[in-house]
Amino acid sequence: MTVTNYLTEGFTLRSWLTTRDHKRIAILYAVAITAFFFLGGAAASLMRLELVTPQGDLVSAETYNKLFTIHGVIMVWFFLIPSIPSVLGNFLVPLMIGARDMAFPRLNLTSWYLFVLGGLFTVAALIAGGVDTGWTFYVPYSTAYSQTNVILVLVGVFIAGFSSILTGLNIIVTVHKLRAPGLTWFRLPLFIWASYATSLILLLATPVLAMTLALVALERFFHVGIFDPAFGGDPLLFQHLFWFYSHPAVYIMVLPAMGVASEIIPCFARRPVFGYRFMAYAILGIASIGFLVWGHHMFVSGQSMYAGMVFSMLSFLVAIPSAIKVFNWTATLYKGSIVFSAPMLYALGFVGLFMIGGMTGLFLAALALDVHLTDTYFVIAHFHYIMVGGSVMAYLGAIHFWWPKISGRMYPEMLGRIAAITVFFGFNLTFFPQYLLGWLGMPRRYHEYPPEFQLLNLFSSAGAAVLAIGYVLPLVYLTWSLLRGARAPANPWHATGLEWQTTSPPPQHNFEREPHVTQGPYAYDPVR
Amino acid sequence: MPTTPFDSTLERREADLLGMWAFLATEVVFFGPLFFGYVHGRLVQPQAFVEGSHHMHIVLGTLNTAILMTSSLTMALGVRAAQKGARVRIWLALTALFGLAFLGIKATEWVLELPDAASASGGEARFYFLYYAMTGLHAIHLTLGVALVAWLWLHAKRYSSAYHAPVEVMGLYWHFVDIVWVFLYPMFYLLERYNA
Amino acid sequence: MTYFFTWAGLMICLAATLASSYVPMGAWNSATNMAISVAKALLIALFFMHLRHAGALLRIAAITGLLWLALLFGISWTDFGTRSISHAPWSAP
Repeated sequence: MTVTNYLTEGFTLRSWLTTRDHKRIAILYAVAITAFFFLGGAAASLMRLELVTPQGDLVSAETYNKLFTIHGVIMVWFFLIPSIPSVLGNFLVPLMIGARDMAFPRLNLTSWYLFVLGGLFTVAALIAGGVDTGWTFYVPYSTAYSQTNVILVLVGVFIAGFSSILTGLNIIVTVHKLRAPGLTWFRLPLFIWASYATSLILLLATPVLAMTLALVALERFFHVGIFDPAFGGDPLLFQHLFWFYSHPAVYIMVLPAMGVASEIIPCFARRPVFGYRFMAYAILGIASIGFLVWGHHMFVSGQSMYAGMVFSMLSFLVAIPSAIKVFNWTATLYKGSIVFSAPMLYALGFVGLFMIGGMTGLFLAALALDVHLTDTYFVIAHFHYIMVGGSVMAYLGAIHFWWPKISGRMYPEMLGRIAAITVFFGFNLTFFPQYLLGWLGMPRRYHEYPPEFQLLNLFSSAGAAVLAIGYVLPLVYLTWSLLRGARAPANPWHATGLEWQTTSPPPQHNFEREPHVTQGPYAYDPVR
Repeated sequence: MPTTPFDSTLERREADLLGMWAFLATEVVFFGPLFFGYVHGRLVQPQAFVEGSHHMHIVLGTLNTAILMTSSLTMALGVRAAQKGARVRIWLALTALFGLAFLGIKATEWVLELPDAASASGGEARFYFLYYAMTGLHAIHLTLGVALVAWLWLHAKRYSSAYHAPVEVMGLYWHFVDIVWVFLYPMFYLLERYNA
Repeated sequence: MTYFFTWAGLMICLAATLASSYVPMGAWNSATNMAISVAKALLIALFFMHLRHAGALLRIAAITGLLWLALLFGISWTDFGTRSISHAPWSAP
């Protein structure tokens, strides 16, 4: 039986680097972002190592500034933003809608090359001595006072931004134009809804970031620009523009994770998602309201109190659709036949940790509380609960869930569960103490702190070590499974969804025959 | 097994058009921060901006606007020719030539205005920064447009009434570049002209 | 032939916007120029870009970019427009 699949269509490096196959491009992205993840993680490890003692004794303050900057830049733009959309979105979107490929395959490959080029510029900045502005590049420090390689990094992020934009564009056109016959909008899996909404954000927010960073670079280079008060400018112009992108950006990071949860949980509870339409509308609600709240990053920046109130109210509003989703995932579990597989452990961990992170967001949305909590470790804990406890766990859950489909192999289930639990435990040990530290007043971005904070910092750093183990484990056993894992059947989880109706791994053009859809998603029978 | 993801040229054309319109939406938002900076300056330091505007070359700017809008006409005629399967090359060539004329005049203006710009200070310097940044970004887009129109001219034989989506999509991009200029022109050239 | 009429319309608009700038109207000059620019943009979009005959999806795509800019400008205005009347206690006067 000589059945070829997309992995065996060509074994040369050239066949990979010139591919138009969305599945191969997804793997190209996966390799790139994994490398970036460990680079960003190395920076974090050095930071946590420094913070074991109250004195700034491991690295200088300047070096520490460079560490948190590169950690943020890499983790946000070179890991989190591309992670689920560019790896799983690229791999799954055509499969889930019954298409042969994305709408614009060559554009897809171009997106990957842009991503790598952007990454190279960023790594070049790192090698040239790093950047110390923070991933937020606030002016006037970034335009006038920093002596580091700011422009190099700005160019890197600018280029990577276009990779994001083109990926989003591809997904939107694909979902509109390439759905299989019978696949109406309200029969789509929620992962598609999430990918679509994410792509809308990618399209409408990222260009603003690109231009804003370009303006910073121009002002830095020419010593004249729109932000400098000497010319009548306002530094807050930068902050408004920067956060207009960067707040929706966090929804780019979390919406796909929510899509993943909505695929995994019904499968391992053997029940359809509770409130499918509300879930879809909530996704659109999060994407749209998410554009209206950016000023909550600027409560103490000097913006007017009136604006502060407006943004505070809108920020409370954006929590509502997220809450609806958490309720619905929980309700999906009710009377289900729950299997605690590795993907399910990750997905459940996602829901719980996202919920905690989200609720602490409400603390920060309250103006009066934010005055106390802003720029402290409370904020750091808040966003790490969502981005790491949430998005990274969902990403790992997704990788495990779809691993059989992507690689044609099964990973070792027991090791998968152990890794998931290790990550969950390590994560909470790392970041929960940071809520307490922030509440007690420890500011962020400092490499030294008052001695009374040491115990909590020790817990946090210990947790980081455990977390690191949890992240390395999958790298080891997933690689092992490529060589020695059991061959996967087409549908090892008995899941619904068109991607499971084709072989594991799929043939190059995804389906032997074009699927025709006659029913809605998540047709799980709880009795089985 | 067909190798493209599409089942027909019609499907492919619809996707191409949607793709280009979605891309143009990103372009609108891409120019956004520049407009943001301009509006801020116009409201906060109006006199400086008016002063800067009075140094612009109104004749050249107006001529350029007319040239660019005419190039949109020739581009639209080119798209229509492609849709009918008629000769497109003449229209593409005219469009590109008008585009080049615009760029030539723009470059002349930039050179003429450079001494004023370099010696400006305060709000006027901000005006010049925005002027060069916005017309510069516009010119980059226009240059890319001219290059793409030239590429289409080279491959004109590929297009017929059955398959002409690339020409249509090029048209959309070209008209967008025109629309951006339609807004830039009064922003930079026409501030309190009655006092100039 | 619609294309030639559209072009003629654009030229008339250009003449109008140029001429009106020599008439001192204060703030109304900018408003007039904006309105004429919008008119030109509509002519180009509806006729040259075929939006007049396009489906809902393309029209939505066409308007979305502008809508989003409106959001950016509008909500930022809640800050810039109210600084003098409700500034933060910790900011400079």
